[in-house]
Amino acid sequence: MALSAHDDLILLVRDPIAADALVKHVRQADDGAVVTFDGCVRNQSHGRKTLYLEYEAYESMAFEKMREIAASLHTLFAIDSVAIAHRLGRLEIGETSVFIAVSAPHRKAAFEACRHAIDTLKKTVPIWKKEFFEDGAVWADGELPPVPAATPLAKRAS
Amino acid sequence: MQTRVLFFGKLKELAGGAEQSIEISSGSTIAELFDRFASQTPALAPYRSSVVASRNQEFAPWTTVLEPGDEIAFLPPVSGG
Repeated sequence: MALSAHDDLILLVRDPIAADALVKHVRQADDGAVVTFDGCVRNQSHGRKTLYLEYEAYESMAFEKMREIAASLHTLFAIDSVAIAHRLGRLEIGETSVFIAVSAPHRKAAFEACRHAIDTLKKTVPIWKKEFFEDGAVWADGELPPVPAATPLAKRAS
Repeated sequence: MQTRVLFFGKLKELAGGAEQSIEISSGSTIAELFDRFASQTPALAPYRSSVVASRNQEFAPWTTVLEPGDEIAFLPPVSGG
């Protein structure tokens, strides 16, 4: 758990996510809106019945990337604060895998920032999901994170 | 020099472990590091184009030159959320 300069809350947890606590954390007296995203475990994938999921992360990097997402929201949108929690380990159908709460004085910024947060998380945070079915298990298809171009410094070092 | 390398997701299963330490000559790039593993474990080779690398927990291009003490990770497409 970590608090940033904006009083944001970033969590990687193995126990169920306490969504109410995240909402409470971001909701302050000068906010007019709190928008949340609750990502939950679906009972099927491409028509196959899912039994459960397992999430793993490059934890130190995932935490830092989640922190970067929260920080970027403050520069992109007129928001108050952000809470992002992702769960790791085995998750059953219907459980929350990721929960995001964004507070803002006005709803538009809160909606946009929350959407941006989950879209960015799915592209850049090193977390992986394995889907377990009755007849086997597969790593879920994912997105390849964008990598910065080689810098002149890196070339000079060679 | 000794370099610490982490594998995740499917790569971890193919590489036979989450963490490995490898001796590689200084001046080598991340691409050369991956190729070393791919020559040891040919099952890794087809994943070269669908993997990104990180150096000290930042995404890094394949041309990045390794420094002593680096922590390199090979990351398959991410699927959090």
